[in-house]
Amino acid sequence: MGLAPTYLGSVMSQIIVNGLMLSATYALIALGITLIFAIMNVMNFAHGQMYVLGGFMVYYTYGVWHWPFALSLLVAALVVAAVGLILERFFFRSVLRRSRREESTMLLAVGTALLLDSLALALFGEKQRGVPDVVSGVYHLAGAYIPARRLLIFAIAAVLTTAFIVFINYTRPGRALRAIAQDRETAALQGVDVTRYSALGFGLGAALSGLAGGLLISTDAINSGAGNLISIKAFIMIMIGGAGVVSGAIAGALVLAFSEAIGYYFIPGSLPYLLILTGLIVFLLFRPQGIMGRRWG
Amino acid sequence: MNRLLGPLIGLALYLGIVPLLIHGSSYWLTVFINISLLAFTSLGVWLTFYIGRINIAQGAFALIGGYAVAVLTTLHGWPFWLALPMAGLVAGLVGGVVGSTILRLRGVYFAMLTLCLTEATRLLALNWTGVTQGASGIIGIPTPFGGDSSYLQAYFFSALLLLAGLLAIWRITQCRMGRVFRALQAHEDLAASIGINVAQYRVLAFSIACAFGGLGGAVLTVFLQSIYPTSFNVTNSTDFMLYCFLGGLQFVLGPAVGALVLFLGFQLLSALGSYQALVYAILMVLAMLLLPNGLLSLRFSVRQKSMREGQV
Amino acid sequence: MSLASKPHLSLHNLSVYYDTVRAIEGVGLKANRGEIIALIGSNGAGKTTTLRAITGLVKPTFGEIWYEDQRINGLPPHRIAELGIRMVPEGRRIFPLMSVHDNLLMGAFLRRNQAEIRQDIERICARFPRLAERMKQAAGTLSGGEQQMVAMSRALMARPKLLLLDEPSLGLAPMVVREIARAIQAVNREDGVTVVLVEQNSRMALRLSSQAYVLETGKIALAGASAELQTNDRIRRLYLGISDESEPLTL
Ligand SMILES: Nc1ncnc2c1ncn2[C@@H]1O[C@H](COP(=O)(O)OP(=O)(O)OP(=O)(O)O)[C@@H](O)[C@H]1O
Ligand SMILES: [Mg+2]
Repeated sequence: MGLAPTYLGSVMSQIIVNGLMLSATYALIALGITLIFAIMNVMNFAHGQMYVLGGFMVYYTYGVWHWPFALSLLVAALVVAAVGLILERFFFRSVLRRSRREESTMLLAVGTALLLDSLALALFGEKQRGVPDVVSGVYHLAGAYIPARRLLIFAIAAVLTTAFIVFINYTRPGRALRAIAQDRETAALQGVDVTRYSALGFGLGAALSGLAGGLLISTDAINSGAGNLISIKAFIMIMIGGAGVVSGAIAGALVLAFSEAIGYYFIPGSLPYLLILTGLIVFLLFRPQGIMGRRWG
Repeated sequence: MNRLLGPLIGLALYLGIVPLLIHGSSYWLTVFINISLLAFTSLGVWLTFYIGRINIAQGAFALIGGYAVAVLTTLHGWPFWLALPMAGLVAGLVGGVVGSTILRLRGVYFAMLTLCLTEATRLLALNWTGVTQGASGIIGIPTPFGGDSSYLQAYFFSALLLLAGLLAIWRITQCRMGRVFRALQAHEDLAASIGINVAQYRVLAFSIACAFGGLGGAVLTVFLQSIYPTSFNVTNSTDFMLYCFLGGLQFVLGPAVGALVLFLGFQLLSALGSYQALVYAILMVLAMLLLPNGLLSLRFSVRQKSMREGQV
Repeated sequence: MSLASKPHLSLHNLSVYYDTVRAIEGVGLKANRGEIIALIGSNGAGKTTTLRAITGLVKPTFGEIWYEDQRINGLPPHRIAELGIRMVPEGRRIFPLMSVHDNLLMGAFLRRNQAEIRQDIERICARFPRLAERMKQAAGTLSGGEQQMVAMSRALMARPKLLLLDEPSLGLAPMVVREIARAIQAVNREDGVTVVLVEQNSRMALRLSSQAYVLETGKIALAGASAELQTNDRIRRLYLGISDESEPLTL
């Protein structure tokens, strides 16, 4: 020991900490949208709106009504899952059954995003909302500051991400979901009730987004119009990682979170995102299928 | 001849009856100016659909066209009539350059990336303060429409622009280029295998589409006499796409009908106050569920079904 | 009618149309419990369509499918799977990104007894030692023959009562074909599984089966005991590749 952390060292560790904190929650967003895409072949344009909905659930239950944070997270997950199930049952299922064109499901996905957007605006108003800190205090680690609330959110998100990966890889329903993603018909031939499991997948993907919203509102504020921006982040992540692949979602989340951490540390304002988006286009030029993706999904 | 009757009646209505009815109301003239220009801009999105790509970037190119016309007229003192085609050209060129890379993607990947492109363009406008003035935007853009009848002039100009756009797109679909585009939509790989330079045609179609966006955005900007980074955003991009979808993708008139019905519908719902957007969204989703092939499919399904195949 | 004489599976006047295209018409066949029947025919004859109708992947336009005293046409695929019917589909259709082990577990999706499942996996490893070495490997990276073994094993993991095999020998080396044939015979004899064997190159199918049906452009053209069909001139010429001029077919 003996060596005081250098300035450069502390900058590095602060960036790493920031990136890591963010990446766990981003992974939840990316896993949710990639799950829905893999199972239903629907690109969920309303993913960001589901995030917003989850955020507002926590805002009301925890921020306004002072329920325990864990309970309000659960409520957020359940409510958004229910919304996902309703959308799947009444919108996507019938359209997926009768249409052969990719466009019609995409149109519907965009329509649901619009619907949830205006619903959020009508229900929650335009104000930016935040919630009181769940825990207070600041930790120091190798010259980096870690607010306790961010650490808590990170821990919860990391646990949820791990739980999801374990669920998908090592449980019976998780296997069924993977089987549907790879070959719907053959999954049905093994006795999987494809309709029910697709609904499960959609609800689960939605719940993940709602959870992410519920988690991030406790560190960053949220407003009812934030949906599109979050959807864009979700798209960036799965385009980087490759759509429909769990490892791709994780990779995309890490890349985006660290790009944000680096960008916002050095450059203020909105310029980092311009650079990220430009970088994305250049990246896709060389690897259109993303890091982990198969060509054209 | 029969096929032309409907559009001709529509044309007569739009250039004759509508202005006669609303010429006194600047509100309704503004509504219809918007409809014409939004429909014109959506025609570009329609053309991208025509080559089998879902385009959610048209807001970006409207923004580019808007800034081009704003900068040229205010900073460089160009006359509107020169700046306008330039705006279309700039948007078309940018579209060509960007398109030559991103058009390699397909399906939802292309759609997602174009959505990101809209956001990227907004951020570019926000950060390139030397040219765009950043968030404060460019205001006081000179307008070529003046005097008492300025709204009516703008109405006729927009309507004629839309008409020209419709004719141009219709011509494109009728000639050899249109056949190639259709081939790209249905079987891109097959088209490549029979020796069509797929990449080149895709880029061509996309630049034309972007030029439409640039022109439409430029006229809208001039009409509003101001532009900000948020003037055309992700919501506009998706709107342009929805106009095409809901009008009907198999018809050149689709975007025009879609823009007319949706924009007018939105205005008519304004009595609902804060629920306007919500009711509008609900109606739109219902339309998607009930009319998966667009509004114009109604009109054609009551006629012979077999005509639909040949109908453009 | 006594229970014993009732067929395990029977199709009655079955027709399937894709839109307006006829795939099969008026197909009737039956398989008794514990029997192997063969369904042969050339490309596009409707063999796959018949199996897809039995498993519920396509809905028959006309006709009925009976299985164990129950009419099963109209049931969704997963309900039919619950009744103990498994298909090894055309082109294998393994889950390519899953490990071999997970593919087998998918076969046992409807079973709950973990100990028995483990036992069955061991049995499969004994039957196909080549799979035993590759349990953790992604199934999509296996060779064609190994993939066929996975597909077959996946179906067996369900402990099916009726097994439908769609061209299991397609594209495989003669040695692997023999291995597959032995496996089919073993399941049939040891576990009493009823088998419907679809084959284009029909030598093996006729040898393994007791009854055979010949499909031609969607209709049953011939049916009878396999041993008799093997000596039928027309069958020999069209499906066994034996010409009267005794000139071997060369490419
Ligand atoms: N999904 C489909 N849509 C339209 N027609 C189909 C479809 N599936 C099969 N057919 C048609 O039905 C007929 C029977 O096809 P099927 O696949 O059952 O034949 P098969 O006997 O299995 O042939 P093969 O030995 O080549 O596998 C064919 O004429 C085929 O073109
Ligand atoms: Mg077949």
